[in-house]
Amino acid sequence: MSENAEVLTAEKTDDNELLVEQAYEALAGGPAKASNGIVNNQSPTKWQKWKENFKRKGWILVFILPALIYVLIFCYGPMYGILVAFQDYLPGNDIIGKDTLWVGFDNFKTFFSDPNFGNYFLNTFLLCILGFIVGFPLPIIVALLLNSVKPKKVKKGLQILYYAPHFISLVVLVGMLKLIFGSDGLLDQLSIKMGGDANGLQLFLKAEAFRPLFIFSGNWQDFGWSAIIYLAALSGVDPALHEAAKVDGASRFRRIFSVDLPAILPTIVMLMILSVGNLMSCGYEKVLLMQTDGNISTSEIISTYVYGGLMSGQYGLSTASGLFNSVINVVLLVIANFTSKKLANQSMW
Amino acid sequence: MKKIIAGVIVAVLWFAVVITYTVIATSPKDEDGHEFTILTVKEETVKDYNTMPVFKALAKTTGKDVYWTYNTSTQYSNNTDPVGISGIDAIYHSGFSNLQLYNYGRSGRIVSIDKYLKYMPNFSKILENRPEIAEALKSPDGNIYSLPRVEEMGLKAYPNLLFINKEWVKKLIPNDLPEGLELTEEDLVDGLTLTRNQFKEILKKFNSKDMDGDGKSDNEIPLSFVSTNWQGNISDLVSSFGVPENTQHKTIVNGKIEFTVEYEQWFNAVKELNDWYNTSLIRSTAFTQTQDEFLAKGQDGRYGAFYWWEKETVVSKDLQNDYIMLQPLVDDATGKQYVGASNELEIEKGACVIISTCKDIPGLLSYFDKFFEPIYSAQLNYGSIDSGAFEKYVEGEMLVHNSDHGAQSADDFRMKNAPYGVVYLDKNIWGKEVQMEPRAQLRLDRLEKYLEHNEFTNVQPIPNLNYSKEELDILFRYENSLGKNINSWFTTRVTSKSTPTVSDWQSFLKTNATSISEIKRVNQDAYDRYLKASEK
Repeated sequence: MSENAEVLTAEKTDDNELLVEQAYEALAGGPAKASNGIVNNQSPTKWQKWKENFKRKGWILVFILPALIYVLIFCYGPMYGILVAFQDYLPGNDIIGKDTLWVGFDNFKTFFSDPNFGNYFLNTFLLCILGFIVGFPLPIIVALLLNSVKPKKVKKGLQILYYAPHFISLVVLVGMLKLIFGSDGLLDQLSIKMGGDANGLQLFLKAEAFRPLFIFSGNWQDFGWSAIIYLAALSGVDPALHEAAKVDGASRFRRIFSVDLPAILPTIVMLMILSVGNLMSCGYEKVLLMQTDGNISTSEIISTYVYGGLMSGQYGLSTASGLFNSVINVVLLVIANFTSKKLANQSMW
Repeated sequence: MKKIIAGVIVAVLWFAVVITYTVIATSPKDEDGHEFTILTVKEETVKDYNTMPVFKALAKTTGKDVYWTYNTSTQYSNNTDPVGISGIDAIYHSGFSNLQLYNYGRSGRIVSIDKYLKYMPNFSKILENRPEIAEALKSPDGNIYSLPRVEEMGLKAYPNLLFINKEWVKKLIPNDLPEGLELTEEDLVDGLTLTRNQFKEILKKFNSKDMDGDGKSDNEIPLSFVSTNWQGNISDLVSSFGVPENTQHKTIVNGKIEFTVEYEQWFNAVKELNDWYNTSLIRSTAFTQTQDEFLAKGQDGRYGAFYWWEKETVVSKDLQNDYIMLQPLVDDATGKQYVGASNELEIEKGACVIISTCKDIPGLLSYFDKFFEPIYSAQLNYGSIDSGAFEKYVEGEMLVHNSDHGAQSADDFRMKNAPYGVVYLDKNIWGKEVQMEPRAQLRLDRLEKYLEHNEFTNVQPIPNLNYSKEELDILFRYENSLGKNINSWFTTRVTSKSTPTVSDWQSFLKTNATSISEIKRVNQDAYDRYLKASEK
């Protein structure tokens, strides 16, 4: 049955392609293939067709105009600011003007020659990649599990319980972390009471504890929220498929793997491409809030360096290092898109 | 349902309108009808400058009509381009760094004040008599872009004093004193001398016993400080090993810029303090707490000993007599006392900048010039005469502090009534034109005793140095990361379970060798130029 269907669709596609080709030739005037070699000058050219089409339906484009203007002004407009990365920029200067001091790649050189550059890069990379490895599958698993909970009330209740932490603000979250894991915190008090070291565990002073604290608190806060999109995808799965699988004797576990997971695979791939594109940009706010002298060897990342530069008036250097980060993100995005196109036949473009 | 949605939308829109309106209404705007509008940075608790008697008096003598608007420090620090705020002629408390002053200056957005010296008799006299101040204020291009704050009391170079809880020591005297230490109750007065090991043994007793008598032996904090704060930091404890430490880890020894981390004594200190940490004499909070947290915890007398600027702010009024000042700890190996010098400066740049769009720059500068007169400087620094900061002023006599502020403490009074900022109170003023504040006098007396036997007479703070643009860039590149690396290495090694090793220290020095030598070189060049310029 399914094989037939596949053949059918395949044929249809072929048909379609044929049709498209014909239409295309007609549009182009189809002179090349005319067997008698006479060029038909009467049939309208592609451009004329387009013009006619535009005259008739062009007004529909007005609907897209606000969105287009929005994107141009707020997304592309400010982008010329990255030119600052190639300047000795002073606040209040024109970004393009006769007084502009162009310095080429000097800012990048300064950034790359920072004695700690390797460290910043590695820290950013490790923090983000580990966060991704832990944080990406978690919401999928949670969504699949939640989806198999039968009683509706329990499911809803659990879901709310899971995504509620999302609404805690960062500052409060870090405050909570410090109360629990910081000096004189809950954990330290406990460990002292249990006969541990009188100074407690001091996780906020330990460089090796920074990444686990950062990543697990971040995931604790967001796994429920991220699961929502998968739950939505799961709700679109045809119940008939589940029934059919049941008839075939599939266990509950089997159904998750054979019915649910394939159903949300496109969503998973799309979200993966998107998050790989953002891999190197974990926000600086939480990192800054959690930074101490003790953990700075792992907690100083590129974005906190950018922040430090801005605060001390190094606009060019900051922009250069920020741009460097963004370039890496774009490269990662392209790689991820390409790989998923090859492997899963899914891509953004 | 539709009605509800419509209601919500209307409410949200109204909310947005109200918010926008409040934001617009509270943002600083050009007050019409005033000659000058000056932006100052102050907290809400500080009184409105427009109502302060000192500014009224200044307006009267200069005949200038000045309107003060303000930002809180949070508002101000969130503004990446404060010079661009429209409608202001100057920024008071600008807090600009060397680099910011130079950048704003060379792009012509703030006024180069040295071009208007003829309108500023007081300021030009200061620059003439004190070439080192003139030198300190210059930017790399030789111009002066800001008005300074000068307050010379000789206090800032030594921001730490060591205090110990004498009541607790008294409890140890009968039969708990560490071996080899003999003390009587009469000995427990300001200026008691202890060696570092004796001090350590006492701290151990503080740690293991129920000193405050509440039945629990684990809530006493033997020794506290705020490790990298400008006052009450760990530097003097490190210095006691024979290295002139400060929070920047660099200082001048015999005219040469040196990094303290390269001293063997510095490593010895790290090793020993690691032991102090692991025996709980120093708690981890000393490395994570803020100044406010430190002060709050100290009020009820839980500290066995602490480093701070003074004891008055740390412990509450009724416990003041429980604490005595110790002499700097005596190094057991050499039998000497060492105190490092901090690089906190008494000449500060950036107290005020004039914005180029000001219509009458000479007029505004002649107004600010009055600030440098002792009678106004004193009022700016401590509060106006008319609001009760000083006793009644008699022409030609010394300004005497008024100690009676009713229910509020002297500190509170000053915080609310004194605008600070552009001030010139040099070392010759005290006791002649202006009485030294009693608290400052007290600290000065203590400091004299504290530094009596200081072995580091050849150690100096690094003064305000002038750097070229290239040097500023080099410093930015290396100083930023080096400071982080040093503090990080120090903190992690002191708080580590294992004893720090020499090879670990040497490899740390090796990785930072370039930064250290570059910063040394640049600073040494700048310091040599400074010496030459001040000789003139």
